[in-house]
Amino acid sequence: MLKRRIIPCLDVKNGRVVKGVHFKGLRDAGDPIEAARAYDRQGADELCLLDITATTEGRETFVEIVRSVAPQIFCPLTVGGGIRREDDVRRLLNAGADKVAINSAAVSSPPLIERLAKRYGSQAIVVAVDVRRMPALPRDEEPLYEVVIHGGSRGTGLEALRWCEQVAELGAGEILLTSMDKDGTRDGYDLWITREVARRVNIPVIASGGVGSLEHIRQGLALGEGEADAALAASIFHFGLYTIAQTKQYLTERGIPVRPPEGRRAA
Amino acid sequence: MARELTLVDAGLGNLASVERALIQVGSSTIVTNDPDLVATSRIVVFPGQGAFGDHTDQLVDGAMGEALRMVIQRGDPFLGICIGMQMLFEGSEEGGGRKGLGILPGRCRRFPDNMTVEEGDKTRRLKIPHMGWNEVRPSNEHYYFVHSYYVDAANSDDVMWSATYGDIDFAAAVRHENIFGCQFHPEKSQQAGLRFLRAFLLGSRQ
Repeated sequence: MLKRRIIPCLDVKNGRVVKGVHFKGLRDAGDPIEAARAYDRQGADELCLLDITATTEGRETFVEIVRSVAPQIFCPLTVGGGIRREDDVRRLLNAGADKVAINSAAVSSPPLIERLAKRYGSQAIVVAVDVRRMPALPRDEEPLYEVVIHGGSRGTGLEALRWCEQVAELGAGEILLTSMDKDGTRDGYDLWITREVARRVNIPVIASGGVGSLEHIRQGLALGEGEADAALAASIFHFGLYTIAQTKQYLTERGIPVRPPEGRRAA
Repeated sequence: MARELTLVDAGLGNLASVERALIQVGSSTIVTNDPDLVATSRIVVFPGQGAFGDHTDQLVDGAMGEALRMVIQRGDPFLGICIGMQMLFEGSEEGGGRKGLGILPGRCRRFPDNMTVEEGDKTRRLKIPHMGWNEVRPSNEHYYFVHSYYVDAANSDDVMWSATYGDIDFAAAVRHENIFGCQFHPEKSQQAGLRFLRAFLLGSRQ
């Protein structure tokens, strides 16, 4: 049976992990290479590196970071942040990323998704969709969500479910769905929009934004709750609150199918 | 002692991570797109991502296809990864119906849309591609898969390991004499994947 994936996410700025990764055995909390290696050894199912640098020089640094991280890990690597052009995607894939997540660029030019999927294969193209819940109107039966860009600072006028259907039709291989209302709150994923997107599209959905406990991860993945195919989280792993193994054990005990933690056998 | 191995660069995606994993398990690796070099190799690994199409037709009909068949028929150890395994078979439904190298009997078929699976008391609809970690039988190890088409082997003896997605049991790894293939990506499957590559290398020692 296919298992749900647990994906630690490292936010990288100017070549350093933002706020750092603080768990036992790491010498440098800000070194993305060391952190990525540690998560790979712990048995993370996949890793995500997001570039939150605003400058052009920072972007160059990020490509170098990807080039250094990729040979050190033996699990899939998804990278994203600040990707504007087709050439950025090419450079990141050449640097060793398995999947590239595009966000604003897809909103401003949806045909880009199709072009990238044709060129590199759908499996390499993730569309990151950031959403915000709209204020409820009197006769709404269901909540409405708007797609937002630039870290949530700019609305797009796109309705989230329709946009997710469209990116799947255009050939995206996966959707990384982040609730900007929940991001950073540590009070759990937005389960309503996660579930609706997961049910609407025929491609995997990664839940993101708001994890503060293992129970939140369980909710994001459970049928009838978030129904996501994968759960992305940052701070609960980085602060050493839980290891990947503890997370897997918690989920297994509660009926969520996950890959068991790796044994200690040497390769 | 390092085993010298030839990694075939047939333009089917990035080989860097496969090369890195092979080095990790102790092989010395030559990467080449030269059919003559492939034809004279003693151990060949043929990886691939992407899809069957015009490109794979050209490969099958061209000098590289000839070189791969030569290595296999000579009895030298051969490992096809992902599309590289699928291409060992007769053909695929992908791309309007394409041919493979035709070394093993069987064809690649697309996973049906709208498959479901029971989970507890609920039903879950399955996505395509089959992407993520799945368990193979009989070893119960997990490997990382990404594919929309699967190998339907005509000869069940060729299937070394199988896995299940929805209603479909498919070949996760095949073996026929000197020929190995894996549908999963050993280079992305952490320790389990490295063990698989190591076993291939050890098994190919003569």
